[in-house]
Amino acid sequence: MNEASILLFIAIVFSVLVIYWISIAVSLVYRSNRTARLNKIELTFADVVSRYLYNDPANPITLREINTTLKNVGIKPENKNNIQFLIRLMIRTQRTILGSHFYKLQQLYTQIPPYGVSIKKISSWSWYRKARGIREIYEMNQSQYFDEIFKYRNDKNIYVRREAQIALVVFLGWESLRFLPYLKRNMTLWQQIKIVEKLYDLYPKPELKWLHRAYKTEKLFGKKLIMRIIRKYLLHGEIGYIIDNLNHEDYEVRETAIYCIQTFAVPSATMAYIKELYDDIPNATQQGQLLNYIFENSDIDLDFYMKQLYGKNEDLKLSVAEILWNNGHKEKVQEFYYQQYPKSVLNVG
Amino acid sequence: MWDSAEGFFGSYYIYWISVFLFIGYGASLLTLYLSGILLARRSIKRTKQRSIFLRAEDIVSATDIPSVTIIAPAYNEGLTIVENVKSLLSIQYPYYELILVNDGSKDESLQLLIEEFDLEQQDATFITQPIPTASVKHIYRSKKKKYTHLTVIDKNNGGKADAINAGVNFATTELVIFTDVDCIIEQDAILKMVRPYLEEDDKEIIGCGGGIGIANDSVIKNGILTELKLPSRLIPMTQVVEYIRAFLLGRMAWSEINGLMLISGAFGMYPRKRVIEVGGFNPKTVGEDLELCIRLRKHMEEQNIPYKVVYLPETLCWTEGPSDHKILIMQRDRWARGLWETISLHRDLLFNRKYRQMGLLYYPYWLLFEFGAPIVEFLGVICIIAFGIFGWINWPFAILLFFAAYLLGCVFSTIAIFMYVKSFDHYTKPKQIVELLLAAYLEPFYYHPILLFGQIKGYYKKLFDITSGWGNMTRKGFKVSKSKESKA
Repeated sequence: MNEASILLFIAIVFSVLVIYWISIAVSLVYRSNRTARLNKIELTFADVVSRYLYNDPANPITLREINTTLKNVGIKPENKNNIQFLIRLMIRTQRTILGSHFYKLQQLYTQIPPYGVSIKKISSWSWYRKARGIREIYEMNQSQYFDEIFKYRNDKNIYVRREAQIALVVFLGWESLRFLPYLKRNMTLWQQIKIVEKLYDLYPKPELKWLHRAYKTEKLFGKKLIMRIIRKYLLHGEIGYIIDNLNHEDYEVRETAIYCIQTFAVPSATMAYIKELYDDIPNATQQGQLLNYIFENSDIDLDFYMKQLYGKNEDLKLSVAEILWNNGHKEKVQEFYYQQYPKSVLNVG
Repeated sequence: MWDSAEGFFGSYYIYWISVFLFIGYGASLLTLYLSGILLARRSIKRTKQRSIFLRAEDIVSATDIPSVTIIAPAYNEGLTIVENVKSLLSIQYPYYELILVNDGSKDESLQLLIEEFDLEQQDATFITQPIPTASVKHIYRSKKKKYTHLTVIDKNNGGKADAINAGVNFATTELVIFTDVDCIIEQDAILKMVRPYLEEDDKEIIGCGGGIGIANDSVIKNGILTELKLPSRLIPMTQVVEYIRAFLLGRMAWSEINGLMLISGAFGMYPRKRVIEVGGFNPKTVGEDLELCIRLRKHMEEQNIPYKVVYLPETLCWTEGPSDHKILIMQRDRWARGLWETISLHRDLLFNRKYRQMGLLYYPYWLLFEFGAPIVEFLGVICIIAFGIFGWINWPFAILLFFAAYLLGCVFSTIAIFMYVKSFDHYTKPKQIVELLLAAYLEPFYYHPILLFGQIKGYYKKLFDITSGWGNMTRKGFKVSKSKESKA
C-alpha cells in the first residue's frame, strides 16, 4: 500500500459520498413532488366519489368524465404507484360508507380503473405483492377470484396464508370454520383477532353448526380461535368449550381460556366445576387470574379459599388472604399468620 | 528485551505489530459496518412491508389485543412531573395502564401528583412481590374517572432498576413498557410496539425496542411533540446524528439476524412473565437495560425456547439529550461503567457453545467492538504520540490514511441520514439536512473526543474501584407551549 493507492481509495470514497449527497437531494425533491401528487389524487377521488354518490341532476357526472378526470391526475396503467395509491383510497372509502351508498360505490368500482390489478399480483413470485393482491381482493369484495385465493390457505409464507384465510372468512362466513381442522400451519394472534373481527363485522348472526364442526380441531391455534369467537359473540351456550380448556396442558391455550371465560358469568354448578379445575392449572400466575375471576363472579366459598390459603404458592396465599381479609374473615387470616409466625408481631392491617 | 519506554516504542517489531493490529481492527469494524448497512436496509424494508398488513388503525379497533402497562420511575422530578405524567397518559391504546413509581423523591413530586390527579391512598397490605424491592410505602389511584388508568407507587429509594421492578410487581398486564418519566412518547407508539407480539409465530418475542430521537429545543404542547426542531447547540445536534446511526443502522441490522443484546432503557417492551422469571432488572449495575436483555436471552437459551428480540425503525420516543460536554461526559461515563459491569457479569458467555450465536458471535462482538473500541482508540492515540516521538511514522502517508478513515466515517453517517430522510418525514427541510450533515462531519473533531474521554473515565473508575452512581443529569427541559385552555 502506497500513497497513490490511498489517494485512489480517497477518490472512490469521496465519489460515494457525493452520490449520497445527490441521493439525499433527489429524495427530498421526490418526496415533496410525490406528496403534492398524492394530495391531488386524493382530492380528485374524493370529489368524484361524492359527486357520484350524491349526484346533482342538474350537473350529473358520467363514467366517461370520471375516467378522464382520474386519467388527468395520473391514474394510468404505467403509473403503478399512483394506481396502488388509488386502490388504498378505494378500500379506505369503502370501509367508511354503509347502506345503499356502499353498493353504489361497489358498482362504481367495477367500472373505473384499475382493472384486474389485484388478481395479477397473486401470480407474482413476491410474497409481498401476492399478500397485497389477496388483501385487495377481499377488501374490494371481488368474490369471483375466490378459487384463486383458496389454494393459498396453507401457503408457507405467513402473510400470504393469513390474507388467504381472512379472505375465506370474508367470502364464506361461518362456513369457513369447517376448514379449521385442516389448516396445517400456525396462526398468529393477529390472524385470530382479524378473523374474529371480520366474521363479526360481516356475519353477525352465529351459525353454530359450523362452530361445532370446528370443535374437532386438535390444533392449538384452532382451539384459541374458537374460544375467541365464543367470547366475541357472547355464546353463553358454548362456554363449556372454554371451561374444558382451562386446564389444558398448553400455557397459551389456558391463557386464552382464562381470558375468554372472564367475559361470562356462570351458574354456581359450573363455578363449582371451575373451582375443581383450579388445582389442575400448573402455573401460579394463571391460577391467580382464575382466582380473581372466581372471586368476582361467585359468593365467598370459605372451604375453597381456606384450602388455597394453606396451599404452597406464597403469592396466591397473599391474594387469598386479601380476599378473606376484605370479605369478613379477618380472623381466618390472622389465625393463618399467627400459626406461621407465632412469636412475631403481626403487621397486617 | 525492552529496558525502557524508548526501547519498547522504538522497537521495530512492536511498531509493525501495532500497525497490523490497528489496521486489522479498523478493517473488521469497517466490514461489520458495511454488513450492518445491508442488513439494516433489508430489515427496514421488511418492517415497512409487514406494517402494511397490520396497520395501527386496525389494532386500535380490535378487541383481543394484549394489555400493556407503562412503568416510569421518577426521582426528584418535581419540576416537570405533572406535565410528564399528562404526556404519558395521553398515549393512544385501548388497554393500557400507567404506573409511576416515586422512588423516594425528596422533593414535592408526590404531593404535586396527589393534588393534580386527585389521588387517594389504597390498601397496600397484600401486594405480591415476585421481585424483591425496597419497601413500598403506599399505592395511590386517581378518584377522577379520566385518570383511572393511572397508579402511583410511593416507595423507599432503591435506584432506577429497583423502582422499575416495583412497577413490574404491581402490573397485571401481559406486556410491560419501561420508559423514563421525562420521555415524550409518540401517540401511536404502543400500537406499533405490540405489532411484533401480535405477529409472533414460532419464536417468542422477549423484547421489542423502538427508535429514540433527540428533541432538544422542540416544542411540546399538552404533552405531545408538536414541532420537531433540530437542537441549536452542536453537542445535542451531533447526538441526533449519533442516534439515527445507532438506531437505524446498528439496532436494525442486529435485529435482522436476531442478534440484539440491548433494548434501550428509555423505551422498551417486554412480556411481564419473562421479566419476572429472570428476577427483573439488576439494581447492582448502572447498565441495567443491557444486562436485562442479555439475561433474558440467556434464560431463553437455557430453557431451549425459540425467541426473538426485535427493533422497530420508527422513532417512537423523544428524549432530551445532554446539552453540554459536562453532562455528556457524565452520561457516557455511566454507560461505560454499565457496559463494563454487564460484560463482566456475563463473561461466561464468551465462546460458550451452549449459548450458540450469542456466545460465539454477539457477546464477542460486544466485548471487542463495543467494550474494546474506547480502549483501542485510547491506545491508538498513545501509540501515535509515542511512534511520532521516535520518528517511526511516515506523516504524509499517515495523514492520507486519517483522511481516508475520516471520509469513511462521513460516508456511514451520510448513509444513515439518507436512509432516515428516505424512510421518515421528521427532518424534511434542506436546511435541516445540511445542518445534520455538517454536525456529522464535525463529529470526529469535537464530539467524539468528548465521548472517548467520558468512556475512558468510566473504565478508569471501574479499574480503580472508584464508587460512582447514576449522577445527576441536569436537563434544561423541553419548550412547553401551553394550550389556550390551560392558559385561561
